[in-house]
Amino acid sequence: MTENNFNRRDFLKLTAVGVAVAAGTRAIQNVEASGGSKGKHQWAMVIDQSKCTGCGYCTLACQAHNDVNPDIQWNKVLDAGEIDGKKVYLARPCMQCEHAPCVEVCPVGASYYRDDGIVMMDYDKCIGCRYCQVACPYDARSFNWENFDGNNPAVPEWGEPEVERRPRGVPEKCAFCYQRIDRGLELGLTPGIDADATPACCVVCPVGARIFGDLNDPHSNVSQILKKHVSYRLRENLGTGCRVYYLPADNDVVNEVVEG
Amino acid sequence: MKSIVKFMRENIFTPWGLWLGFLGVILLSALVAGITVFWKGLVITNLTDLVPWGLWITIDLSSIAVSAGAFSLCAGVYLFGLKRYAPIARTATFIGLIGYTMAMLALVLDIGRPDRFWKALVFWNTHSLMWEVTMCVMLYLTVLLFESMPIFASLEWLRKKFPKIAHKMESAHHYAPFLAIIGLGLSSLHQSSLGAMYGVIKARPYLYKPEMAVLFMFSAIVGGIALTLFASMLSGRLTPKAKVNDILIERVAQFLGYLMIGYLYFRFWDWLASRYTYEPGRTEAYHLLTTGSLSFNFWFGELIFGALIPTFILLYRPARLSPFWRMLAFAMIVGGVIAFRFDINIVGQLAVISYLPGQATVTYTSYTPSLVEWASGSGIIAYGLLAFSLGVKYLRVVDHRLTSEEHEVVTVTSRETANA
Repeated sequence: MTENNFNRRDFLKLTAVGVAVAAGTRAIQNVEASGGSKGKHQWAMVIDQSKCTGCGYCTLACQAHNDVNPDIQWNKVLDAGEIDGKKVYLARPCMQCEHAPCVEVCPVGASYYRDDGIVMMDYDKCIGCRYCQVACPYDARSFNWENFDGNNPAVPEWGEPEVERRPRGVPEKCAFCYQRIDRGLELGLTPGIDADATPACCVVCPVGARIFGDLNDPHSNVSQILKKHVSYRLRENLGTGCRVYYLPADNDVVNEVVEG
Repeated sequence: MKSIVKFMRENIFTPWGLWLGFLGVILLSALVAGITVFWKGLVITNLTDLVPWGLWITIDLSSIAVSAGAFSLCAGVYLFGLKRYAPIARTATFIGLIGYTMAMLALVLDIGRPDRFWKALVFWNTHSLMWEVTMCVMLYLTVLLFESMPIFASLEWLRKKFPKIAHKMESAHHYAPFLAIIGLGLSSLHQSSLGAMYGVIKARPYLYKPEMAVLFMFSAIVGGIALTLFASMLSGRLTPKAKVNDILIERVAQFLGYLMIGYLYFRFWDWLASRYTYEPGRTEAYHLLTTGSLSFNFWFGELIFGALIPTFILLYRPARLSPFWRMLAFAMIVGGVIAFRFDINIVGQLAVISYLPGQATVTYTSYTPSLVEWASGSGIIAYGLLAFSLGVKYLRVVDHRLTSEEHEVVTVTSRETANA
């Protein structure tokens, strides 16, 4: 074929076909991106800010059980101002979004949804491009800028490592202690009730400010609490659909107003 | 002793020898820096969890952008039939090839696990714009390699030693129109999705806007054409190896001037629409651009010197006819596009919106590239300059006399009209 009989119309046809194929693939992918809400369980966490004292035990327990570099915190405890002279804290694990920006943008699919809603990281697949970090609205991902090969200062005081250390060059994040949930379920335990099947941060919390459970089970403590109390999620306007709910620090006041 | 001095004077203390020496020093220090990065990891950069994309990504974005001359000029020549511009498309193709390999180098430095680079090709998340960019860039690099075959075939050594191979490589130009179509498709896709990659980031209010794709596409086209023309004119001035047809360049320059009007049009409405009302995070990022740490870059780099003045030069005939002012305008457009890419990448990461409940508060982060980042980054640029210089010297990359041999012309006679 010489260029004479390859005219503009042929070119437009070819382009149109190309665009249609690309759009089709994208559409299929959109249908598949359901956010992992099809599983039997839907794990969620409720953090009660009226109880949280900002002790930071959750962070330490997390660092021990997940063998996290002391420079990295999967679960951050932040100052969130004060109410009536009492300091307020905000503990922030990964939100396990239903429409997780990190999962959507990851070029290799190293971030993915489990059927129970947990947003997972495949640390062997990740190429370390850090697009997920740019995309995460909650700053929930930390990059392994260097190797963590020293002792973990949180071990053994705060627990024993249950997962493999991540290598240098990949970002890491909280995954609701999926290893504890999976092992617990195998043993016939109920996550959220039995300590051995519940995320370490919830188990260690001395004031019971972190509650864990299954949203699909109407009798679970998270379902019950969310039914009774006013709760909010972080940056809800983004529509990420967080699976971490917060009870506000002035929760009693709010509830009185709501319930009249 | 005398002969050594003579040798030095004739071979090393020539402009060419000094130029190679200069690039060699930069490349050597970049090699050291690069090895240090692979050995020590990204901890020696100034990148942080809040600003994870820095200088290297800017280099990556910019070299992809200024490579866009390849697809736009090839499309003009082979699809819209502007055949007399074929030699300029040849230069653009070669620059494109260099630019894309520069981007690859920048990415290899930047990703945390360069050893897993191949995984980007094997594991697909088709929902990710970065996946799309990766695929298109890889495929387009292949297209560019094919498109550059006739260029590599003009290497004297190859012609003498392996005439058959050289001939085979040269015959790749028969497929130029097809390659131009594929190139146009792939480039349009990924130049825009490179912008969309930023445009879909909800977390960063400054970046989250649909026009990002259009702005990237447009800025790439003007930057790519400008770099091609600038490099051609500069080589024409510096070496007799480069043969430049000033009339051709002047024509494209005028066209570029009109394109710049289009670019400025998009920039203006983007600016107006996104600054119209207070939006937490976005407005603060704009303040960084217009009055803050990036204001010089924004006003002078991107707009005044980067777009307005060169547009005026290219559209004002007496200025355009002067080779000096025209060259200056090209250089300014390239600089403007690079400044634009730098600002886009960095500003969205500098003004971060807090996730604390209540009123959206904005926190500021900071980033200054470390010495290692500068050293390795300049190495990537030095590699690009070296490759282009060698191309001009040995591959006749800038040779505007090469017109007829590039393409055979097939004459098609129209059907005779029947006589009644």
